[in-house]
Amino acid sequence: MKTKTVAAVYDRRKKTNGRRSQSAATADHWPLQFKLNGKTVAKKVKPTQTLLDFLRIELGLTGTKGACLEGECGSCYVLVDGKPMNSCMMLAPQVQGREVVTIEGLAHGKKLDVIQQKFVECGAVQCGYCTPGLIMAAKALLAENPHPSREEFLVGMEGNICRCTGYNKIMRACEQAADEMGLKKK
Amino acid sequence: MSQPTDLLDKAMAQLHVTAKSSSAYESGPMKVVGKSAQRLDAVDKATGKTKYGQDLFDKKFLFAKVLRAAFPHAEILDIDTRGAKKLPGVIAVLTHKDVTGTNMHGLIRRDQEVLCSKKVRYMGDAIAIVVAKDEETAVAALKKIKVDYKPLPAVLTMEDALKPDAPKIHAEGNVLGEKHLRRGDAPKAMSEADVVVEDVIQTQTCDHAFLDLEAGRARWDGKMLTIEVPGQWLHEERRLIALALGLPLEKLRIIQPATGGAFGGREDISIQIYLGLAAVKLKGKTICMRYSRGESMIARHKRHPIRVHYKLGAKKDGTLVAAQITFYVDKGAYASTGIAVMRKASSHATGPYKVPNVWVDVIGVFTNNNPCGAMRGFGAAQTAIAYEGLMDRLAVKLGMDKAELRMKNLIKSGDAVTTGQIVPHATGVECFEAVLKKIDWKHRSYETPAPHLKRGYGVSIVCFGLGYGDGFPDASRARCKLTQDGIVEVYSSGIDVGQGLINMVSQIAAEEVGVPLEKVRPILADTLLTPESGSSSATRQTYFTGSAVQLAASELKKQLQDIAAAHLEELVYEIKIENGEAYNVFRPQKRMTLKELAREGKKRGFSLDALSVYKPPTMPEDTKTGQSMRAFVTYLFGSHVCQLLVDTETGEVKIERYIACHDVGKAINPDQVIGQIQGGVTQGIGMALMEEVVMKDGKIMNPGFTDYILPTIRDVPEIECIILENPDPGGPFGARGIGEPPLIGCGPAILSAIYDAIGKPIRELPATPERVWRTIQTTP
Repeated sequence: MKTKTVAAVYDRRKKTNGRRSQSAATADHWPLQFKLNGKTVAKKVKPTQTLLDFLRIELGLTGTKGACLEGECGSCYVLVDGKPMNSCMMLAPQVQGREVVTIEGLAHGKKLDVIQQKFVECGAVQCGYCTPGLIMAAKALLAENPHPSREEFLVGMEGNICRCTGYNKIMRACEQAADEMGLKKK
Repeated sequence: MSQPTDLLDKAMAQLHVTAKSSSAYESGPMKVVGKSAQRLDAVDKATGKTKYGQDLFDKKFLFAKVLRAAFPHAEILDIDTRGAKKLPGVIAVLTHKDVTGTNMHGLIRRDQEVLCSKKVRYMGDAIAIVVAKDEETAVAALKKIKVDYKPLPAVLTMEDALKPDAPKIHAEGNVLGEKHLRRGDAPKAMSEADVVVEDVIQTQTCDHAFLDLEAGRARWDGKMLTIEVPGQWLHEERRLIALALGLPLEKLRIIQPATGGAFGGREDISIQIYLGLAAVKLKGKTICMRYSRGESMIARHKRHPIRVHYKLGAKKDGTLVAAQITFYVDKGAYASTGIAVMRKASSHATGPYKVPNVWVDVIGVFTNNNPCGAMRGFGAAQTAIAYEGLMDRLAVKLGMDKAELRMKNLIKSGDAVTTGQIVPHATGVECFEAVLKKIDWKHRSYETPAPHLKRGYGVSIVCFGLGYGDGFPDASRARCKLTQDGIVEVYSSGIDVGQGLINMVSQIAAEEVGVPLEKVRPILADTLLTPESGSSSATRQTYFTGSAVQLAASELKKQLQDIAAAHLEELVYEIKIENGEAYNVFRPQKRMTLKELAREGKKRGFSLDALSVYKPPTMPEDTKTGQSMRAFVTYLFGSHVCQLLVDTETGEVKIERYIACHDVGKAINPDQVIGQIQGGVTQGIGMALMEEVVMKDGKIMNPGFTDYILPTIRDVPEIECIILENPDPGGPFGARGIGEPPLIGCGPAILSAIYDAIGKPIRELPATPERVWRTIQTTP
């Protein structure tokens, strides 16, 4: 897939000497193309808009949550090329040409992802606001390291804040998901 | 003294038993209650489908933003909104002049203006609302509003506020109120005590830090103002908004979106009222609003920082004889729920310990800091840190084991708590024994891997009054209805803030009617559809709404039994409803399904609809002595033990083991009870070790999660839970409640363990590494 990089878009703007038309809002918008939950998305985007707001407001994918809005709580985690990223700290144009997965991209119809299933079964979901971010963190962790040690789990999950559960059940859900994914591979 | 309360209790018990049991043939194990059924909303939450306040936005809606005060204390001379109004994209700029009602709100006292007219009292006070085509324009417009202030000296400490010449924050002065408790003759008993310990403990300002920021939308169509914002008590919010904005109650509807935590932080009114005002002014438009984390922290009330002067006297053998306690409560700028928090502090001043002579004074002092109000623990959390701290000092002074000292003084069934209320089923001893056994208290080891690491063990016991109490008309209502498709609908305004109320009401209704859980449809928290259930606070929803649901379900079941009896031509008291089918216990071959019952009911002209109210009475505390025969409907008991390591070189604390035991009466859903215990303990860890809102000159210096430190997965050990089930006669299936006690027990247990480890008490919270290190270095 051939896509323009952010730098290329930026260069194009420089060529116009940064002139902006006050009336035409589209002049403030950059073209953006990336892969979202397996499908290509092409849309104009305001370059100052965070990825979080872009996903939620422009695309209507409200599963990704914003809570601290300064990269401390992980509620807004999405996977960008497989890595968990705070979408509140990224600008939308930064995902140009990259692959983004949100919580909406995990389940297949009614069939939940193993991690989602384990969160539900283990009672790791209470108010649920941190849940999508935590599931994305666990997804990235287990994709990279299918058998994390306890310490590796902590490193993978310490970027997320949960105010309700006390983390014990979240840990259990992640461990059980790892076990189940391990069994499937065998 | 014990007679009347005992009788009352028995009468109450009798009443509930009669009211709740519906058939002579109800026996056998429960099928739904007591089972850890999966949360009904978990799948939607785990897949991102659930709609919280901020998920209701649309680009075509208008956006509102609030202008906050620029000074913690100032007179407003003029508000000039012309510049803002001129900005392209701005639809409206509203000030106090646009408010047609009283413009006042406040949960107990209406002392806070919706939009300030003459004076601001803290940095979160609201002055104007901008409504614009988008959020960015609204933010830009805020900067164009010119407010002419006359700054007044800010009153930032309670000492300053109490000086005779202090600037008055409110016209009536800087004292919100006082609360007194007198029991026996404390000064005399104290002078005769063999051993006296005394200390001053200062707790900190805490933020609720729920993750789901205040957000929502509102719309006025000329007939109905619909507000969709998460709160904790929809009907009270509706009352406050209607009065402040001058709207008839019936023209106001509040719908609760999914709610990402509350912890008391949604009790005071927040954006509902601004959204309501904006919507009323812009008929036919949907208005959205959201706080940033910073605005959320600046605007919202906090946990009261309390300074406790505590003096405790005992006999040589450790028997407590007297307590003299003064609480100085920093109220911040407005009353909020302060009076109730102060009362909770006084009525819980000696916790689970029997003290015959008690003298308590509580003074609530206004300052220009953030208003303080409800937060999980509600005055009892701060108090527990004080009484358990003093019990530890006393044990050291007596040379006695701290567990033994506590065991000796714990109230037992039939003893009175500080208010004079007899507790018929006091299970503090059982809880305490359970945690001591689990950790093997007698054989605890102080051996550590290195000499600079010191181990400590801490204990705490919670005795917590459930519900509002104090004679307040505390009630919950519920409705159960059988639909034509054979579903039992449960209506309640109880709010699921994440604690699991949705399962609690559904499991109780399913059990009581005799249907599987999937045949129950909970319909919650919409003032147009659901009856008032009081707040999701005070650990009261399971006890109150659970009981109301059980009563309504029981009434519905009786209606269904009548229908079945008539249709099957059987005796009504031989009809059993089980697993969604009605049959005669002696002739089970003839059966009716729920759908058949619904159809048959309709044919016969029955609505199959039952309403209930659960309103157990309490009695007000005497204004002079704080004594009341029934200050609270019931008491909850729990006990915690904590084992930790202190690094004496860095002051860092590492919790190695944590055990919490709570008597919940009956765990409606044991898994959710464990969730509440583990979550409460984790917030307690935050309060004990790291959380603090730092105020300077009336300004919050750490309004975000970068600097307001919350516990992460790394800070929390495995929290071992022990659930005891000593049924309460007034609760549904014997259930009591669990919301607040786990937090209340945690702080004192951790501080007790640190004291055990380093031999010096932490007098100021939180016990950050720096504070622990300094205590080790300097405190005598």
